[in-house]
Amino acid sequence: MKELSEVYIHLVDDNDIDIAVNTKLLQLSKISEHIYSYNGAVRFLKEVNSGANQFEGHLNVVLLDIMMPVINGFDCLDQLQIMPEETRSKFKIFMLASTIDRNDIRRAESYPMVEKILEKPLDVYLFKKFLEETLGY
Amino acid sequence: MSDKVKLVYLDDEEQNLFSFQALFRRDFDVFTTTSAHDAANYLTNNRDVQIVFSDQKMPEVSGVEFFELIKEDFPEPVRILLTGYADIEAVIDAINRGQVYRYVTKPWDVNDLKICIDNSLEKYRRDKELKEKNSALEKANSELEKFVYSASHDLRAPIVTIKGVINLAKMEDLEEKSKSYLEMIEKSTNRLNDFVTNIVHYYQNMKSDEIREEVDLQSMINELIAKFKDYADAFGIDVQCNVVQSHKFKTDANRLIMVLNNLLSNAIKFSDSNKPKPAIEINVVQNMERAVIKIIDNGQGIEESAISHIFDMFPKSADKNIGAGVGLFIASEALKKLKGKINVESKSGVGTKFIVEVPNLV
Repeated sequence: MKELSEVYIHLVDDNDIDIAVNTKLLQLSKISEHIYSYNGAVRFLKEVNSGANQFEGHLNVVLLDIMMPVINGFDCLDQLQIMPEETRSKFKIFMLASTIDRNDIRRAESYPMVEKILEKPLDVYLFKKFLEETLGY
Repeated sequence: MSDKVKLVYLDDEEQNLFSFQALFRRDFDVFTTTSAHDAANYLTNNRDVQIVFSDQKMPEVSGVEFFELIKEDFPEPVRILLTGYADIEAVIDAINRGQVYRYVTKPWDVNDLKICIDNSLEKYRRDKELKEKNSALEKANSELEKFVYSASHDLRAPIVTIKGVINLAKMEDLEEKSKSYLEMIEKSTNRLNDFVTNIVHYYQNMKSDEIREEVDLQSMINELIAKFKDYADAFGIDVQCNVVQSHKFKTDANRLIMVLNNLLSNAIKFSDSNKPKPAIEINVVQNMERAVIKIIDNGQGIEESAISHIFDMFPKSADKNIGAGVGLFIASEALKKLKGKINVESKSGVGTKFIVEVPNLV
């Protein structure tokens, strides 16, 4: 069983303020010390594709915003989906939406990588609870 | 191509067709035939025919039968039956069933026929105008809905960011003054958020179809209470729930959550801080036929004069104006879609009881 603190958290969002706030919240709530952020899915995918070492050797939890320009959350999932199993298995995805649409929920459920869809603003305690469930505590 | 108005005349007696042509070919583009098949073919190739005449008594099909055949595919042209007195009952029946607009008795009086044509052209024009106005209206309506929906959807993103910043700021060590300012900002932001969220929910409710899914009411209510825990704690409210479920339950979960969300948030919002123990009780009894959900609070209660208006879109409340006012309207609209009911019992200063009934769609 993995310790929560061993989990790496990756924030993918096009809004800098949301990233700053969520990073700080996650730090203050001491869920994990390993927090990475990416301004938009393009940068995130680029790093994943280049095999950057912040993804190696541990479980990666991605907080993925849905509404983003160029590549939105679902496009990003589509791209992760076609990567080799070895890469895919490194990620657990939590999607973030400012308004949760029924269609979004249905769509998110069709991706095996997606654990949950969470409403913004991020409720760190709820997130922690889901994270513990995901990791099987 | 002539720009004359097109008429079709179907009759098995050629003599009638000739005299009809003679009467009207100068003013109209008249197509006459003895074959119902040819008449239908002509209509297929000439979508702008405005009036179709038919004799009633014909060997293959009757006039009423012919109209019945073409009514669906060619609803626009006005249908007129030409008939002898003997068939009057068939005519009355046809008019009552909407297959025929007018009838003209044979042998026809030329003046009658002309008046009949004038009236029919007027009807054709009116119908067309109405149809155009209707579709313009529908388009405007759906565009407006789309606009409101996407505008409120887009508005939520920055609101949610503000809420995030407030949450973060509250975790910092702040001066008293800053804290009180922050509280004001938070209150206003929450009001704005509630309002925009409600609008989004309203349009989601309007546009999406009926869904049946299995729902575990116990866990639905538990999640709801967990979601409101901080909010209820802030008012010192004790929230209890008691769920009795005896059968599998199916409904549209999202709509039901929308309803309960609004009721619970109201129960907290309008709690009474003067009561020694502010409390909310949620009782659920569910069986084969339905679920009855009661949300009972000992809050401020509703003035008797206001009770009948609480499900209106923007009810005016005489005293405190805390809510944005659309929540209960949205709850009752969502319940309509669930084919459920909502009732309220309330006494000002004592408390409020909402009773929601939702049919089991198993």
